[in-house]
Amino acid sequence: MYQYIIRRILQFIPMLLALSIIVFGLAKAAPGDPFSGKILDPEVGMEVYEKQRAELGLDKPIPVQYLRWAGKIVQGSFGESITYKGRSVESLIKERFLNTVYLGLFALFITLLVAIPIGIYSARHPYSLLDYGSTTFGFFGLAVPNFFFGLVVIYLFSIKLGWFPAQGTLSSNKLTGFAEFQDRIHHMILPGLTLGLASTASYMRYMRSEVMDVLGSDFIRTAKAKGMSNNNVLYKHTLRNALIPVITLLGMELGPLLGGAIITEQVFNFPGIGTLFIGSVINRDYPVVMAITLLLGVAILVGNLLADIFYSVVDPRIRYD
Amino acid sequence: MLKHFKHRFALLILLLMIGTILAACNKDDDKELSDPNESTSTDVSETDDGEEDASVDSGPKDGGTIVGAMYSAPAGMFNPIFYEEAYEANILDFTHEGLVTQNEKLEFISSLAEKWEVNDDQTEITFFLKEGVKWHDGEDFTADDVVYTYQAMSDPEYENAGGVRVNYVAPLLGYEAYQSGETDVFEGVVADGDYKVTFKFAEPNVSPLYYASFPIIPEHIFSSISVKDIPEAAESKDPGKVIGTGPFKFTDMIEREQYILERNEDYWQGAPHLDSIVWKVVAQSVMIGLLEKGEIDFVASPGGIAPADHDIVADFGNIEIIEQADFGYQLMGFKLNHRTTADVESGALNPDNWVPNKKLSDPKVRQAIAHAVNRQGLVGSGHGEGLLHGRGQPINSPIAQQMWAYDESSATAYEYDPDKAGQILDDLGYVDVTGDGFREDPEGKEWILNFDYPTGNELRERSAPILQSDLENVGIKVNLRQPAEMSVYVPGLTDDNTDWDLYLIGWSLSSTDPDPAGLWATKAGYNFSRWNSPTSEELMQKAVKAPDAFDQDYRSKVYAEWQKHFSEELPALLLYAQNSLWAYNDRIQGIKILPHSMYQDAHEWWVEDAE
Repeated sequence: MYQYIIRRILQFIPMLLALSIIVFGLAKAAPGDPFSGKILDPEVGMEVYEKQRAELGLDKPIPVQYLRWAGKIVQGSFGESITYKGRSVESLIKERFLNTVYLGLFALFITLLVAIPIGIYSARHPYSLLDYGSTTFGFFGLAVPNFFFGLVVIYLFSIKLGWFPAQGTLSSNKLTGFAEFQDRIHHMILPGLTLGLASTASYMRYMRSEVMDVLGSDFIRTAKAKGMSNNNVLYKHTLRNALIPVITLLGMELGPLLGGAIITEQVFNFPGIGTLFIGSVINRDYPVVMAITLLLGVAILVGNLLADIFYSVVDPRIRYD
Repeated sequence: MLKHFKHRFALLILLLMIGTILAACNKDDDKELSDPNESTSTDVSETDDGEEDASVDSGPKDGGTIVGAMYSAPAGMFNPIFYEEAYEANILDFTHEGLVTQNEKLEFISSLAEKWEVNDDQTEITFFLKEGVKWHDGEDFTADDVVYTYQAMSDPEYENAGGVRVNYVAPLLGYEAYQSGETDVFEGVVADGDYKVTFKFAEPNVSPLYYASFPIIPEHIFSSISVKDIPEAAESKDPGKVIGTGPFKFTDMIEREQYILERNEDYWQGAPHLDSIVWKVVAQSVMIGLLEKGEIDFVASPGGIAPADHDIVADFGNIEIIEQADFGYQLMGFKLNHRTTADVESGALNPDNWVPNKKLSDPKVRQAIAHAVNRQGLVGSGHGEGLLHGRGQPINSPIAQQMWAYDESSATAYEYDPDKAGQILDDLGYVDVTGDGFREDPEGKEWILNFDYPTGNELRERSAPILQSDLENVGIKVNLRQPAEMSVYVPGLTDDNTDWDLYLIGWSLSSTDPDPAGLWATKAGYNFSRWNSPTSEELMQKAVKAPDAFDQDYRSKVYAEWQKHFSEELPALLLYAQNSLWAYNDRIQGIKILPHSMYQDAHEWWVEDAE
């Protein structure tokens, strides 16, 4: 098992190397550079940016630029952002990383909290009122665009009812300790709901069909025939088997979760990795683009590895050598 | 029983959702039905009256906090010599000051400088500084700070470190020698004692006050940091460490969410009334709701209120809207010349090598196009009309309307007249010979104008297909291409060894000096039309040539001639100047509205509900 994990981790290295070369090449292949999209200001001549291009080595061939970048990575630094003058890439990502993780986990928490029980209930009582209700909600959740749902909840719960703050992650720096935690949760509820909506809908449907599937299989019938109680059958036998595909989904979720949620972040002005990433792609802020891509690459690889490990926990038949 | 309850609960949720949607729709309908003429927006003079009335029954009170909104977070560079974005300017406008500032007539008036003297040939200007001005950390403001600011901007490392404000220091005496590192002696700005400082220019300068208007940074903070390292320094980025002389101190922030400015008790014009001003970053789509609710007190440039939302905000009743013409315009440019591939590769701007664009080289063709475009239609004349809902006007001169040099009467106003446009083209021989509904050129060959435009400004983006249909109405075939994001569009616009004919771009002009050379001089990089007119060149140089140009009336006359020439030659058709729409909650008193800003003298702002 440990050998397997180490082997998988060693495989990460060539994968990430290939990823970095591909992304660097693609980023450079896109027309424009970090200075070409600057707001045109008649007081700032175009010539000014030429010196800065040269200073950053943007006039050099792409392989040379790649080696220059890779050289910094080997020394343990992602370099400096171009758009955010005087800021290291690490500090920019660090500033938003926790926001993204909290929001992502919160949304995932809401998703699982809602989706799993409702999915199970729907499977056990198919074609009941709640089943129909959740099916309707499921399609609604998948169909409504994130930004629209976000605006509706802001309008309703923030502007009209005033229950939750509309924007941001924190009211004031003066809050500390538990008050700060409370305030952050308060700010996270609306964006968390918005972000969790679509995935809640799909997990719910997933859970429903998986549990129904397992409930109809032979070993469940055997268990019931042996006189096991319904609850026992459900929690001991059904759930374990039904969760396996959901774990696959969860493993893949880790990447997108760290990648942030661009639209939700924008509607709620919730500064996260998503808006940083899209902004740096638009501004051709190469060091930031590269750093986030690598971060996501690692997250996806680790997520898949974790999913594989969890398989063997839930399903003893799966063994890795 | 339980089942019944669930049923009701589901129904309740459904009703709630439908109700919300209906309520939202209803609200919009109400707004649209309301008479646009009823708008409560006031012009500047009315606002002034209102304030006087209010201050009669209750004088300014101390205390209180107001909240401003901006749509995008500042990049985080709070150092005047290195910042680039308007969002950072929102904070720096309250924390830093220059020697001079501008009044409502755009004249330079005293700020950190008490008075000044200009020598006869305008090569030197000497400022006598206010005494007793203190930096936020309690140190005295002196002439050394002025020298240091300009010296830092002239530093050999300044541009490599990311500085872009070189146009303020380039005309200074000895700039090139100092900038290239040939000498360590900075001659451009010289202190004489603590409160006297002289700017020396290499050539006689027609607008020395403009060059001296840059915000000053503290020498005692930055002199120990090399210019190369200033952008990374905490003193350029962190609240509490950013030091200026302004009425408010930048004391705290939740990065990308809130920026908190607190009263500077020792402000040289008197302590501000307000305790603090908080800038919040909010999504544009929810700003109006927050403004109505009172969570946001004011919003101004960049952005302000969208023209389509003007009437909705006016209906709130407690929001004052300030509507003024913006310093800038949108234009549809004509590529008059293209550069050669060799020049594009070497970056040369050599008019001798330019290749004329035959499709557009006749000024009469450009004039016909100008007549074919319904510019008033783009602007509209009221809510629901045009792109701007009437919040702007078509303009004919490329100089900001607020400027003394602006002369509407000298420029030709091209009225919307498709028949006349058709007539001009007919006379020139651009007629449809193939019978496909589109004109061919006089030689009978296909005549298609390629039309490129950028994304980023929604209204401008939407104007492109309208312009296309206006032109096709008079039989001009337009190949409207896919819009490109700015960072792709601008290189295409610059590297013009291609087939571009028509392009869209917008300019935001300076409120300080009307000199149009930065945009329209033949060799200016921003002269995207590649307009090469010796007459224009001569006039622009004449307008800034000493000693005649020391006289503003003389400059006005020359610029009037230039504007006439521009509108005849038409290197670009000016589409419209949008009005800026700023808004503030009427609980704020004492706001001074200037054509270019509403943040001046913020120490006099106060709120009625202060405790």
